[in-house]
Amino acid sequence: MSHNVQSNPAASVNDAEPRAGSASMPVWMLVAVMVLVFGGGLYFDTYGGWFSPQVYAPYRSVNDLMAYQPVSGEGAFLLRGKVVYEQVCALCHGADGNGKPGQAPTFVDSEWVITDNTGRLIRIPLQGLNGPIKVKGVDWNLAMPAMGAALPDADLAAVLSYMRNAWGNKASLITPEEVAAVRAATASRTQPWTAAELEALK
Amino acid sequence: MNYGALIFLVGFIGLASSWFGLVLAPQLQLGRQPITKIQGGNDPYPSRRLGLAEQGLQVYRANGCVSCHSQQVQQSGTVFDVVMTELGTNQPAVVAALAKLDSKLTGASLSSLPQDVVRGVNKLQADEVNAAFKDTGAKVAVQIRPVGPDMDWGWGRRATVAADFLQDSPVMPGSQRLGPDLANVGVRKPDVNWHLVHLYAPKSVVPDSTMPPYRFLFEKRKIDRHASPDALQLTGEAAPEAGYEIVPTAEAKALAAYLASLRADVPLFEAPMTAK
Repeated sequence: MSHNVQSNPAASVNDAEPRAGSASMPVWMLVAVMVLVFGGGLYFDTYGGWFSPQVYAPYRSVNDLMAYQPVSGEGAFLLRGKVVYEQVCALCHGADGNGKPGQAPTFVDSEWVITDNTGRLIRIPLQGLNGPIKVKGVDWNLAMPAMGAALPDADLAAVLSYMRNAWGNKASLITPEEVAAVRAATASRTQPWTAAELEALK
Repeated sequence: MNYGALIFLVGFIGLASSWFGLVLAPQLQLGRQPITKIQGGNDPYPSRRLGLAEQGLQVYRANGCVSCHSQQVQQSGTVFDVVMTELGTNQPAVVAALAKLDSKLTGASLSSLPQDVVRGVNKLQADEVNAAFKDTGAKVAVQIRPVGPDMDWGWGRRATVAADFLQDSPVMPGSQRLGPDLANVGVRKPDVNWHLVHLYAPKSVVPDSTMPPYRFLFEKRKIDRHASPDALQLTGEAAPEAGYEIVPTAEAKALAAYLASLRADVPLFEAPMTAK
C-alpha cells in the first residue's frame, strides 16, 4: 500500500509549475484607448504646430503666425520713426520736439527740418554738427554728435520723416534710399559738419 | 511559459520612446537653429554677450540663480491696437469715421497725435478699423501687442523663444519663479550698479525682496587713503561702518554685467510684435 501514499494527488498539484492565464482586453478599455488617441491627435493637430521650430504658443501654425506679422506702410514707417526718435533724439531735443535751452534747438517748424534740401538734414545725424547755427532766428553754438551714424538707413529715414511730419510739421517723407545715397556720398567724412558747409550744399 | 524577453522588450521600447520624445525630437526640432534676424530688418539676433557678461552666465549658473528665477516669458495671446499717426487734411471725414467706430478717440481729442483709435482688438477688427480710415486721408497704423499675465507684470513684451538663448551655453530658462522672471531684467534695470547693490543687500533696493544677500561675492575692505572707485554706494543698514568699503569681486561684476545684458525684447518672426 506504500505506493498509494506516493501517488497522493494533492502532492502532484503542488509540484506543478504555475501557469499564467490570459484574458481578453475589455471592449470598453479598447474604446477608451482609441478615444484618447483620437483626442490626443486632434489636440496635437490644433496646437502642436507639427513640430515646426517657429511655432510657439499661443500661435498654432506658421500660417497663423503670418497673420500677426507687422504690416508695412506709411503709418508703420512714421510710427517706427517715433520709436527711434524717443530712443535716440528725445533726450536732448525733447519728446515734443521743442528742444531744450542750452542743450539742443527745436525741431518744430525749424527750417533745418522741413527744408526741401533733404541732403542737409540727412547729413546732420550722419556726421554730427559743430559750431554756430541759427535756428528760427535763435543762435546756437553747440556740438551734436553723429547720433545717426549707427542707425540703419531705414531707421534714420523713419526718424527724419517722423520729425518732418510730427508736431505740426509738414514735409515730404525721406526714403531709406535717400539716406543710403547720402551715407555713401559722405562715407569718407569723419568730421562733423558746420552750418556754413551745409548751407553751401545745393 | 517564460515572458522575460517580452517584458525586457516592452521596457526597452518604453524607455526608448521617452528618449525619442524628450531628447531626440527636441534636438531635431531646435538643435541646429541658425542665428536669426530681427523682424523688419537685417540685424542678426541674438548678438553675443560682451566678455564680462558672458563670464557672468557661468556665475549665474554656479550660484544656482536658475533654481529661483526663470528666464522665459509666456504669452497667452496676441492683440492689435490701431493708432492714428496723422490726421490728414479732411478732419470732418475722420470725425465721421470715428463716430461709426466703437472708439474712445473722439473728434475733440484729435489735436495731439499719435493716439490709439482702438486697443486690444483681433486682426479682423483691426483691419476693419484700418479700412474705415482709408478714404479720410488720416494715417493709421496697426500695432501688434502680445498679451498675458507676464506682460501685465512687466516681465517682457513678448514670449521667450528658443532663438533668445542661441548665444548661451548652458541655456538656463529655469522653471521656478520664487523671484521675478529675468528674461528682460536688463530692460527693467539697465544699471550695473543697481544690480551690484541688489546682490549685496537686496532689501535695501527692493524692500519686499526674499532673495538672500550674496555678500560672499563682495569684499569688505578698510579704506586705505583713497576709496575704491568700484565701492558700492550703500545707504542705511547695508552700509559698512565708517572707514570701510564694500568692493565687488570680479565674479560680482560679471554677474551684474550678465544680468544687465538680459533683454529679449526684439520682434522676431516667431514672436511678432510692433517694435518699441
